[in-house]
Amino acid sequence: MNLGQLWEAIQASSLGIYIAESAWAFPTIESVHVIAIVTVVGTVAVVDLRLLGLTARDYPVTVISRDTLTWTWGAFVLAAITGLLLFASKATNYMANPYFLAKMAMLILVGLNMTVFHLITWRTIKEWDTSAITPTGAKIAGALSLFFWVLVIFFGRTIGFTLGIYE
Amino acid sequence: MSFSDLLFAFTEWLRTTPLVETALSISEHPLSLLIASHFWAIPIIQTLHILALTAAFGSVLMINLRILGLTGNSRTFAQTVRRFRPWTWWALLVLIITGIGMIIGEPIRELINPIFWIKMGLIVALILLSLWHQAALSRYTIEPGTALRFGAGARLGAVGLILLWCVIMFAGRWIAYAPV
Repeated sequence: MNLGQLWEAIQASSLGIYIAESAWAFPTIESVHVIAIVTVVGTVAVVDLRLLGLTARDYPVTVISRDTLTWTWGAFVLAAITGLLLFASKATNYMANPYFLAKMAMLILVGLNMTVFHLITWRTIKEWDTSAITPTGAKIAGALSLFFWVLVIFFGRTIGFTLGIYE
Repeated sequence: MSFSDLLFAFTEWLRTTPLVETALSISEHPLSLLIASHFWAIPIIQTLHILALTAAFGSVLMINLRILGLTGNSRTFAQTVRRFRPWTWWALLVLIITGIGMIIGEPIRELINPIFWIKMGLIVALILLSLWHQAALSRYTIEPGTALRFGAGARLGAVGLILLWCVIMFAGRWIAYAPV
């Protein structure tokens, strides 16, 4: 089975057909998806702005990330589950849509940025945890995170306007 | 009568009001024509609307989850409010401006839409509840300690505000699917 057949099989599954045909399923799942993404980006931004040294400078970075991380990950799991359900309704159309692919690429970059930040910059966290001025690596990670998440939202919104265009 | 029947009836009624004239005249305004003639205008305004929402809801969560003792317990409530409350209100301003942009760009889709008006009603309720909550909380914001406990009203208000924001976001997405 090649990938194209996989997308078709997902779309033809009873779950995929149900979400595509039901009057309420897609909008309801999409609404939960929006609430989840808004929560992810809203809480991530709290950490990113601290990494940039722009807000809460008198507060340790570790405390701020501990305060938000549980909510970020919980919301991310919800966004991923609802996202997969939306995807199942029109898998082939999504895979043909450049904005959907761009959104997925941004999510990969979000993950890479986070991994690099934790493997390199985070190792020295004890040295700058309580410092108002953060190291360049932390600033870059915060800026890239905000930049990629803004694009996730932009490409995500654009999918809704272009889904019928690409086959 | 089902809920969607009610929405249909609401739409039928909206069509008998002067809102139709208003929506049509907005749609002929140069600004509306400008937005309508640019494919990217609406997606970009909607993106800005959602970005403002992340700031508004993120800050609402941090304040109200703090009241519930679910985050930020090592800082005082006064610190949490100072850090996050301005973001809520400034973001709300951006939400209103981008929201008006969407109405100007697609006046009929918004103004002759039952879910749009349900959302507007919920936003009025949200602002009133926020102002009441903020006033009721003012006695906690001068409390210096981190260990303070909030009363039932403050906690209920916190849960109510988080839920109301979620319902409003829900309604916002459903504007696109209203049975009109």
